[in-house]
Amino acid sequence: MNFTKLIATASVAAMLLGGVAHAQTVGPQGETATPSSSVKVGDEKVSMLKDGKYRAALLWHDQSDFVNAVTAGATDEFNRLGIEVVATTSAGFDAAKQRSDIETALAKKPNIILSLPLDPVTSAAAFKDAKAEGVKLVFLSNLPQDYQHPSDYAAIVTDDLFQMGKQAADALAEGMGGKGTVGWIFHDANYYVTNQRDNAFKTTIEKDYPDIEIVAEQGISDPARAEDIANAMLLKNPDIGGIYVTWAGPAEGVLAALRANGNKTTKIVTLDLSEPIALDMVKGGNVTAIVADEAYELGRAMAAAGARALAGEETPPFVVAPAVTVTPSNVEAGWQQSLHRDAPDSVMKAGK
Amino acid sequence: MEWLKSARQTFDLQQYVVYLGFLAIFLFFAITLSDDGFLTTRNLSNIVLQTAPATIMAIGFVFVLSAGEIDLSFGSIVAVSALSGAVVMQDYPMVAGIAAGLGVGLAIGWFNGVLVAYLRLPSFLVTLATLGLFAGLARSMTNLRSIPVVNDAFTGFFGSGALFGIPSLILWTIGAVIVGHIVYRESRFGAHVIATGDNAGAAQVSGIKVPRIRLAVMMISGGCAGLAGLLYAGRLQAARYTLGESDLMTVIAAVIVGGTALNGGKGSVIGALVGSLLMGMLNNGLILMGLSVSDQMIVRGLIILIAVAISLRDTSR
Amino acid sequence: MALNATQETSTGPVLELANIHKAFGGVVAVEDFSLDLHAGEIVALVGDNGAGKSTLIKMISGVHAPTSGTISLDGEAVAFADASVARAHGVEVVYQDLALADQQPVYMNMFLGRETVRGPLNLLDRKAMMRETQALVDELDVRIPSAKAIIRDLSGGQRQGVAIARATHWAKKLILLDEPTAALGVAETARVEEIVKILRERNIAILIISHSLDQVFRLSDRICVLRRGVQIGVRETAKSDKNEIVSMITGVA
Repeated sequence: MNFTKLIATASVAAMLLGGVAHAQTVGPQGETATPSSSVKVGDEKVSMLKDGKYRAALLWHDQSDFVNAVTAGATDEFNRLGIEVVATTSAGFDAAKQRSDIETALAKKPNIILSLPLDPVTSAAAFKDAKAEGVKLVFLSNLPQDYQHPSDYAAIVTDDLFQMGKQAADALAEGMGGKGTVGWIFHDANYYVTNQRDNAFKTTIEKDYPDIEIVAEQGISDPARAEDIANAMLLKNPDIGGIYVTWAGPAEGVLAALRANGNKTTKIVTLDLSEPIALDMVKGGNVTAIVADEAYELGRAMAAAGARALAGEETPPFVVAPAVTVTPSNVEAGWQQSLHRDAPDSVMKAGK
Repeated sequence: MEWLKSARQTFDLQQYVVYLGFLAIFLFFAITLSDDGFLTTRNLSNIVLQTAPATIMAIGFVFVLSAGEIDLSFGSIVAVSALSGAVVMQDYPMVAGIAAGLGVGLAIGWFNGVLVAYLRLPSFLVTLATLGLFAGLARSMTNLRSIPVVNDAFTGFFGSGALFGIPSLILWTIGAVIVGHIVYRESRFGAHVIATGDNAGAAQVSGIKVPRIRLAVMMISGGCAGLAGLLYAGRLQAARYTLGESDLMTVIAAVIVGGTALNGGKGSVIGALVGSLLMGMLNNGLILMGLSVSDQMIVRGLIILIAVAISLRDTSR
Repeated sequence: MALNATQETSTGPVLELANIHKAFGGVVAVEDFSLDLHAGEIVALVGDNGAGKSTLIKMISGVHAPTSGTISLDGEAVAFADASVARAHGVEVVYQDLALADQQPVYMNMFLGRETVRGPLNLLDRKAMMRETQALVDELDVRIPSAKAIIRDLSGGQRQGVAIARATHWAKKLILLDEPTAALGVAETARVEEIVKILRERNIAILIISHSLDQVFRLSDRICVLRRGVQIGVRETAKSDKNEIVSMITGVA
């Protein structure tokens, strides 16, 4: 009996998983995705926003390169609009800490909160006070249970997770010349971001590349064990053509295993930018491509959505930021596009 | 009010450190953040609300450390207890949920305690193992799902409610500190815990049932963790496997800064309360100062380092 | 000193050990040991390391049970299940390693495991414990700064004084002293010996283990010699001399 309710109120996570079947990213109530590029604050609103002396708080779930880039994108956009960032927090994936962070930040009376709700159930209560005080809420990827657009929140902004997985599949297929065998190393945990990317990769290979076969599937929960897993995979499939690794951390372990085996032919594709992975790629190693999200653009879009809500303008309920495939030919531009900063020196030098 | 008087006697020099540190940091934030809402009633009460579960874990930890043992597993007990309570309350009334949460905490404490007290395995290793064991159990018991708590009586009693205008979490904190302090400082049991941690051999030949004390402190730690789990569940109106996971370092820091010796025989429940509030105040103030997350961690780490260095230097006089 | 021995006619021995035998597995630690100990008497137990002195003390204090033989207190045969039962019978031990809790005050050590409580909640009665402690240390002339002083801050002699004062407070009949001055300097040893003499005046029976024959001759009324678990003999201190005792200990005539 609760099943329909569960579906209706499920997080974006569950809905996006369903989205895999539709081969595109769909919002929690079935909204179609709005590209982030169309979420903008017009110049005519800028002076009005500047006069408002508005404040924003960034209440993140954790610290990472990704969060830093989102923060940079959001902060630059807020600066352009004269909105002051008054608090930045990291909950370290702790739902209780996130609740405390929200309460603490409210003491600074922010008008906008950008946040990744750690989990739909606990965050529903956690954001209640902020909602009641009329703070414009812009969520990253996740939605507190039972929250309605536009009364409860301004927008959800997320990566185009399906696109990331699909682009990874396309890049690996291209690197392998469209045929061969593939190993699939997926994140063995109930975390929708990695789950969707992993599944999108698998679906794309299965549907679009009839000459490529997934011959090995292995879940990973501890990145430190990636090398062992890759070794076992190589032992069973010595002539494997390509390996997909769920994100860059474990990909470093897989790379180490390939090197230890003297393997120079197996291609690797992974997600999220990482210096050692990129270095291997530009040096012509095993890594054929890295797919990254446009985190900076995602942050900008979150800030813009919040500001539009403050200015009384419409906000699209569900916004996706694009993914970018980084190959040796576009490392420099890819780094800028994703993280809005220069690629690491080592990568730049090796690429020349 | 005899216990108040002797509470004053406990405050020897090394224990002033935490109070002075608390005062200094409070004044610093009060002055620098006067325009940023630090001194508002709401913000100050938030600090106490936010630290309530950690304070209760810290009280249990004072008993464990004082008896010369350690419990690294209490964080995972928090999660298992909260989830147990939440799962039970999906079908049964509040009382059953409370009993489940506390019962699970005590049972895990008993399990740790038997291994430590009667098999004489080092508590550090036992609880390091059970930390992983029960963290895994917390993950598997609901398959990483969060369990909502919709029982209004429960969320009021443990989380959002109030009595005479005082939030229930503050009442829980006050109650736990008073009971903890009296048992620790004013009961024979407390004296036996401290004696066991100070010199277990002396305690044994003096007729103190040392294994029973060791079992008891592990159960107190488990029970406190269970209560903390219920408070989290009430406050978040949900239970989640990550609850308590990140509290280990905060609680250890709070207890040590509060004047409890790492190797037993000496401690203070009141000190642990102030230590816990100090940690909460640091979190709060550093966020309000608008520091970046990395800078918050650096400053917090430095302040804890200084506080611990001072309090330990003073103890070894 | 021998005068004390005459008192035994009026009262029976406080402690009576009859044909005590103790073996750990196949190894005999003490064989056929018999000794009477009277109120107000100090008997010294001497012998080389491993002679069985500590094993005897542990049997009397209830830590070990004898393999055979009887232990009687005031003429009544007793079998102690553990140390706390022995203590309940009025037997106290002062251990070589003191058995004090270092970070606690003197008064809490004095009442360690037997704290005084009051009121319906059975809360510790610190005032009463401090008062009694102060009275006792004054009586025994144990010179410590105060009953609230922390053990760690006291000298070795002061600590031993506290340990003996504790035994005195709780002992009704018998105190066993296991090397009470082994770790002490000359002046502190003299202080502790003074305290032991006060105990004798309080009509308590004392069994003392000591490696110092000088001390044994200063303190004791009788000397009991053990060698490799065998009771070599008992001598009245006043009628013996060091040469005799040494040859009994070593077995070299």
